[in-house]
Amino acid sequence: MIWHITKREIYDNLNSLRFALTTGLLIALMATNAVRHLREHPKRVQKYHDAVAASVNLMNSHANDSLYKLAQQGPGKLYKKPSPLHFCTEGGDPLLPDRVEGGSPFQYAEHLTGVWKLEYPDANINMKNVGPDVSQVDWAFIIGYVLSLIALLFTFDALSAERERGTLRLMLANSIPRHTVLISKYLGALISINIPFILAVLLNLLIISTASSVHLNTAAWGRLGIIFLIALLYTSLFLALGLLVSARAQQSAVSLVILLLMWVALVIFMPSTFASIASSSSSSMSPDEFLKHRRLLYDKLSDEYHDQLWSGELDEKTLTGKSEFFIKHAEGRERLNQEFLAQQITQVQHARSISRVSPATLLQHLLESFAGTGFERHLQFLENVKTYARQLRQFVVDTDRADPQSLHIIGVREGMTKRKILPKAIPKFEDTFSFSKDLNTRAIELLLLALFVVALLAGAYLAFVRVEI
Amino acid sequence: MLITLIRRELLDNLMTFRFAVAIFIMLLLVVANTAVLLKDYDKRLASYNTAVKKNRQELLETKTYSAGHISLNRAPNPLSIFNIGLDKRLGNEIWISYVYMPTLWDANKHGTDNPFLNLFTSIDLVLIFQSVLSLLALIFAYDSLAGEYERGTLRLVLTHPVGRGYILFAKYIGAMICLLVPLLMSILLSLILLTTSPSISLSTDDFLRIGGIVFTSLVYLSLFYLIGMLISAMTRRTSTALMLAMFVWGFLVPVYPNMILTAVETAPKIGTEASAYNQIKQIWEKHDREQKQFLANDAFPGDDWDFNLIGTGYSFWGGEDDPLTLHYYDYTGSHLETLEEKYELRVPHAQNYHHFLGTNIINTVERAWLIRKPALETIYLQPARIGRMLLKVSPVGLYDGATEAWAGTDLKSIQDFFSAAQRHRRAIVNHFYDKEIFASRKWFTADQGAVDWNTLPQFSFQRSDIGTNAKRALPDLFLLMMINIILFTIILLIFVKSEV
Repeated sequence: MIWHITKREIYDNLNSLRFALTTGLLIALMATNAVRHLREHPKRVQKYHDAVAASVNLMNSHANDSLYKLAQQGPGKLYKKPSPLHFCTEGGDPLLPDRVEGGSPFQYAEHLTGVWKLEYPDANINMKNVGPDVSQVDWAFIIGYVLSLIALLFTFDALSAERERGTLRLMLANSIPRHTVLISKYLGALISINIPFILAVLLNLLIISTASSVHLNTAAWGRLGIIFLIALLYTSLFLALGLLVSARAQQSAVSLVILLLMWVALVIFMPSTFASIASSSSSSMSPDEFLKHRRLLYDKLSDEYHDQLWSGELDEKTLTGKSEFFIKHAEGRERLNQEFLAQQITQVQHARSISRVSPATLLQHLLESFAGTGFERHLQFLENVKTYARQLRQFVVDTDRADPQSLHIIGVREGMTKRKILPKAIPKFEDTFSFSKDLNTRAIELLLLALFVVALLAGAYLAFVRVEI
Repeated sequence: MLITLIRRELLDNLMTFRFAVAIFIMLLLVVANTAVLLKDYDKRLASYNTAVKKNRQELLETKTYSAGHISLNRAPNPLSIFNIGLDKRLGNEIWISYVYMPTLWDANKHGTDNPFLNLFTSIDLVLIFQSVLSLLALIFAYDSLAGEYERGTLRLVLTHPVGRGYILFAKYIGAMICLLVPLLMSILLSLILLTTSPSISLSTDDFLRIGGIVFTSLVYLSLFYLIGMLISAMTRRTSTALMLAMFVWGFLVPVYPNMILTAVETAPKIGTEASAYNQIKQIWEKHDREQKQFLANDAFPGDDWDFNLIGTGYSFWGGEDDPLTLHYYDYTGSHLETLEEKYELRVPHAQNYHHFLGTNIINTVERAWLIRKPALETIYLQPARIGRMLLKVSPVGLYDGATEAWAGTDLKSIQDFFSAAQRHRRAIVNHFYDKEIFASRKWFTADQGAVDWNTLPQFSFQRSDIGTNAKRALPDLFLLMMINIILFTIILLIFVKSEV
């Protein structure tokens, strides 16, 4: 029986104006998205490869000079690998810095240079672009804004119109339980929305995968599958909301007004309003404070090591003193940088977790983590960089230790091995993106989304069962 | 008769549940967002005040002219609560110096806000009107004609000796009054919140500007009402009209602006003006050569630019080389608090040199500016202009543009500030010329008294007056009104000729 009613629903929808309009709109949006991706992505990848090659070359040239030079200059700029699924969601990628700078040793005097440390560039605030500010048409936009709106347009009259026409009474006169009607209405709407959506998605992927410059591997396809399932869940949420309101509203028009206003509040306003409230309730370290700490650190260390630092002697005590000073200063600076960044990140995370009350934000976060873009991905990149920095420092120490003639004093030329090092032996930075980690961090959001769906479906069921027809 | 018709329309629309819900959600959004926006404004104002104070203090602590760092800050605009525009996004601190011409693209941001918070989109009150009220307008409109066809009441009304134009007009007026209610209610509510806030004081002009925003909003809403009416007149069935109206809304309001700017590239054309950059670089390299030559020809032996003047203090060299903003300059200076007696003989040489250098740099800047100005326009302004034009195909873009202009947060108003900064730079440069400051001792050393910074010309910036705001808003507003009239005429034609 369920299938029977569902089929009727689908046939009804397929012939309707809304189906045609939905198909047109979704296809236009998905095609725009694909064309944009084809235009932008090769440039992005090229830029990444060029930048990585340049910084690897620089590091190799330092390594060719000596191990000391490598210990001093470090790995150079480390770049974030662009995700092949960038078209799913941009996720604030233009704002987030695309690199961490591991280099720029502190120059104390002309012939006195410290060792490298990690410096984190600021967010790229778009201060120079005077053009209008809009969000990109990516999957997150298409699903989050357009598909959810369409879901409401498909369900707002699902029950109320039948009640108005009196056909609902007729249907229930046959011994059909009410939940069957509700379920089949839900399934019918879900399938009728997904026909144009799948069509548009296929078109989008077709355009993207025909281009040889953009390559999607198996893992990417797997993630696209998960993204599609999330889209289904998200659409279900709005379908359930539509059914709930439609079951209670006396007229279709009233039902639509309520739904659309709820949609505007949930999707357009709630994410930014809640984020603003949350971010103004917490604060992070101010740049002035950060600079003050940095100055204090330098003053303290340079007092402590003053004698060794400015002495030209080459005895072991002076060299060790210099080395300790360099390393401590670089480590201290790096720690301060990380602390400063961590406070900013905590503030953003706080705002992000508060704004999760809106399903649109949940979808955005989920899509970001599966597409490998956005804020969480950036945090993973920072973590990768940290691991690599440890690895490279360890490599320098180990290589130096392998040479018995060396004094094993890192950071000063006289204290380190003079042996040649092979460029191949140096660990290279590989920005990886682990999938299982994402599933764990995102499980809460996925469950929250599922919870919303279940709650709304249950609400729709209760509303419909108890309503008088 | 007209009054009767209008009254019927009013009662039809106002006494409905959907209207009550709309008002409720609308007011909720307005209150919540005004509170958030006010807090944000307070924060920006506080960081502006701190920046002004800090810059002033730093300037007063400097004792020589060459080391003085004059910064101007752009105050946040209180009307940015209505339309945030570019007020928050663009730089608001600019360094004024004789070594370069300040533009919008050289500005920085003062303040201590966490830059990552820009991940979250900012909202303003105009966005609420733009999305919620336009929706409401369509909902009032979709059954205005189609509903009456279906119910047959239209036939009944037409049996009376009423012109069809009258009926349309009455419907239109009735609906507009209905839309005015939530609009005015939310504006008044936000004004109450604004006036209770201690940090905002609105002038008479500001109230007129808000009046302009309200009027523009009304015209915008009327446009959506007419779109709905047109759909209603054409389809004659409420369910079809409703569906079509919603898709039109979905397309015009959330989809079109994002879609068109995704499809058409409007990012700044970085790297297209390499030749301009090279020309500027050459102009400055010529200056460098002239400077070296001057030092070589100078009677003082050696070519040190600081003439080895030794005292307590420091000398500095600064410069900038940025192809993105076509920046290329360098400068030198000193901040010597005392000077050892034995170097006194070198002072006239240094004065002579700085006099030459100052005037030469100013000429170089002027020459580079002739190239830089048009190049910056092609890189940044042209694509932005194209983007705005494309947005204005949708009434949302027109509405946004007009309200931005009223609020004074549009590009032109922000550029006003930077033009004022350029004028201020010229005033300072003229002051330097008139008082022969480049050739003075205070340019590099303060051993015979520090600079009195209060003698410098003071900067003052007034936001453009309401007339200018109006002039900038009017093109978009007129366009909106024109579309209104066209739509009304079409509806009238369809309605008059249609069979009932």
